[in-house]
Amino acid sequence: MANMAVSRIKREFKEVMRSEEIVQCSIKIELVNDSWTELRGEIAGPPDTPYEGGKFVLEIKVPETYPFNPPKVRFITRIWHPNISSVTGAICLDILKDNWAAAMTLRTVLLSLQALLAAAEPDDPQDAVVAYQFKDKHELFLMTAKHWTNAYAGGPHTFPDCDSKIQRLKDMGIEEHDARAVLSKENWNLEKATECLFS
Amino acid sequence: MESDIEMELESDNDGEYDDDYDYYNTGEDCDVERLDPKRADPEYFEYDCLTVEDIEKLLNELVEKLNTILQITPSLAKVLLLEHQWNNTVVVEKYRQDANALLVTARIKPPTSSADAASTSAAAAAQLLKMGSSGYKAPPAVGGNANTPPYRSQMCPVCASSQLGDKFYSLACGHSFCKDCWTMYFETQIFQGISIQIGCMAPMCNVRVPEDLVLTLVTRPVMRDKYQQFAFKDYVKSHPELRFCPGPNCQIIVQSSEISAKRAICKVCRTGFCFKCGMDYHAPTDCQVIKKWLTKCADDSETANYISAHTKDCPKCHICIEKNGGCNHMQCFNCKHDFCWMCLGDWKTHGSEYYECSRYKDNPNIANESVHVQAREALKKYLHYYERWENHSKSLKLEQQTIERLRQRINTKVMNGSGTWIDWQYLFNAAGLLAKCRYTLQYTYPYAYYMEAGSRKNLFEYQQAQLEAEIENLSWKIERAETTDLGDLENQMDIAEKRRTTLLKDFFPVAV
Repeated sequence: MANMAVSRIKREFKEVMRSEEIVQCSIKIELVNDSWTELRGEIAGPPDTPYEGGKFVLEIKVPETYPFNPPKVRFITRIWHPNISSVTGAICLDILKDNWAAAMTLRTVLLSLQALLAAAEPDDPQDAVVAYQFKDKHELFLMTAKHWTNAYAGGPHTFPDCDSKIQRLKDMGIEEHDARAVLSKENWNLEKATECLFS
Repeated sequence: MESDIEMELESDNDGEYDDDYDYYNTGEDCDVERLDPKRADPEYFEYDCLTVEDIEKLLNELVEKLNTILQITPSLAKVLLLEHQWNNTVVVEKYRQDANALLVTARIKPPTSSADAASTSAAAAAQLLKMGSSGYKAPPAVGGNANTPPYRSQMCPVCASSQLGDKFYSLACGHSFCKDCWTMYFETQIFQGISIQIGCMAPMCNVRVPEDLVLTLVTRPVMRDKYQQFAFKDYVKSHPELRFCPGPNCQIIVQSSEISAKRAICKVCRTGFCFKCGMDYHAPTDCQVIKKWLTKCADDSETANYISAHTKDCPKCHICIEKNGGCNHMQCFNCKHDFCWMCLGDWKTHGSEYYECSRYKDNPNIANESVHVQAREALKKYLHYYERWENHSKSLKLEQQTIERLRQRINTKVMNGSGTWIDWQYLFNAAGLLAKCRYTLQYTYPYAYYMEAGSRKNLFEYQQAQLEAEIENLSWKIERAETTDLGDLENQMDIAEKRRTTLLKDFFPVAV
C-alpha cells in the first residue's frame, strides 16, 4: 500500500480517536487488519430520526490511491433508508463519488453519513423501493425504519404488529430477514407479501 | 479551379489568347459560374478535413490573439476560450464589462462574498491573469534575513507532512498543498480521463487547475502525453465549428463555419455523418426528430420485428417469398405474378404516377373511438412508417450483394459476347445513385411520421411517393438492363435524382 495512503489513514485514525464525537460516543473507528487497508466504522443514529438509539457499523476500504480517490464505504448493519441499499448496504452520497476532495478525512466521511441519516434525499435514491415508501407512505416508512433499527441496530422501538406478521411468514418456513424485507417492501401487507414469496 | 486554368493559359500561350483555347475556356468558366452550388444543391456543404496538427495550430492562434489583447497567460486564455466556445470577441467583451464575474464563472477564481467584492477590483483580476506558473507558489516571507530561512515550514492537509513553504502551490482560492500531493493528485485524475476539469483538492472548492500548473508538476512523459490528449479532445469538443470524424480510429477533424445538419464525408476514411449531431446523415429529417425516432425504434423494435416478419406470401399463389434484393417490384418465381412487396397489391396499379403504397391514410374518425382503438391505431401508424424505414434500410445493407450480383451478370453478358466490359460500366454509376436516393427515401419516413396532418404533409407524402416510384423504376431497370438501355437508364437516373433534390429543397430544414 502506498506510503501516503498509510500515513494519511494513521493520522485520520488518530484524529477520529481524539475528536469530540468519540467522547460523545456518536462515532467510532477500529482497525480490521494490520495493513491499514480496511477499517470498521460505527455511527450512532442521529436524535429525532427513526434511527435514534441504533448503532450502525460500516465497512471502510481504503484504496491504493487514497486520498486522491474516495474510500469505499458500505453499511454492514442493515438499514431502511432511501439512499442506502436495503440489500447490499451500498451508499449513494456525492462525497463518496464525484465530490470527493483529497483534503477530506475519515472523520468528515463519518459525520457526512450521520448527516445523511438525518436528511435523506429521496429524489436521488439508491433503493427505489424505500424511496417510494419515503415519498408516498411516509408514516409507514418511519415505522419500517424504526423497526429495522430495532431489529438490526439495537434501537428502542418495538412493533408487535410487525413481529407477529414476520412470525406468520417464519411459520411458513421463510427466513426471518427475508420475511422482514418482503413485508417492508409490500408496505406490511401480509397477503401481498405471501403472494410475492410463493408465486 | 479558375486560377488553375489561367495559369495553364499563361504558361501555354505566354499570355496570348489562341482562338481555340479562348473558346474552350470561356465555355467552361461560364458553366462554373452560372451554377451557384448553394442554390442548385440543397445538400451543398463547405467543410475542411484537418489533421490534429492543423487544429493545434488553429487553436494556438486563437489563444495567442487573446494573449495579445488581454495580456494573460496562455493557459488561462485557453480556459476562458473553452468556456466561451472559442469566441475571442465574447471573452474580451465580458472581460471589459466585469472581469471578476468572468473569472468566477470560468472557475479560475472562487466566488467572492459581497463583503470583499470591493477589494477584488478589475485590477486584482488582471493581476491574477498575468501571473505565470510561478504565481502558484507562495511568495517568500517578507523581512527574512540571513539567519531565518525565507520560507517557514507548514503542514500539507493532504499528506499530513510538514515541509518548507517553497514546496507549496496554491490556486486563486488560496488552498495550499505540497508539490508531491498535487502531482499524485493530477496523475490519479489524468488516469481517470479527467484533464481540463481537474479542480482544487480542498472540499467544496471548485476552482479549476489550469494547464500550466499540471504541466509544471507532472513530469512523467506518459502522463503528460495523456493529459495533453484528453485536453485536446475537450478543446475540440468545446469548439462549435469542429467535429471529430466518427470513423473507427480516424484522426481527422472536420471544420465548417456552417453549423447545420448537413453531410460531411471524411476525406481519409470516407465516413459520412451529420455535421450537427455526429450521427448518420439523416436529411430531410432534423437532428432532434431522428434522435426521437431512433429511440422509439429501439424501444418498439421487438413488437415491430414480431409483426413485420422477414418473409411474405405471394398474394396470388401464397408461396412463401424471402426478399433478397433491393427492388419492391416483386415477381413471384412460382406463378410469375407481379406485385408490390410493401402492400402486396398488383404492380400494375403502381405503374401510374400516383404511388399509393407509401401513403399512410389517417383515419379521420379516430378521435371518436376508444382509447384501446386509438392505441392500436397509433401502433398501426408507427408500424406503417417503421416497416418502410426498415425495408429501405435492409435494401441498403444488401447493396454490396446487389453490386456483386451486377458484376456477375456483366461477366456473363461479356462472356456471351453482348457488349464489352466498358459498355456495362454505366450500371455501377446507376447503382451508386440508386443507393443515394434510397438513403434519402429511408430518412423521409421518420420525417413523415412526426409531421402533423395537413396540406404540407400531403405535399410531402406526394413527393415521397413520387421519389419512391422513381426509385423502384430505377431499381427494376438496373436489374434488367441491356447495353442498349443506356439512354433510358440515364434518363431514369436523372428523374430519380431530380425528385430527390426537389424533396430536399422543399423540406430539408437547413436548405437555403
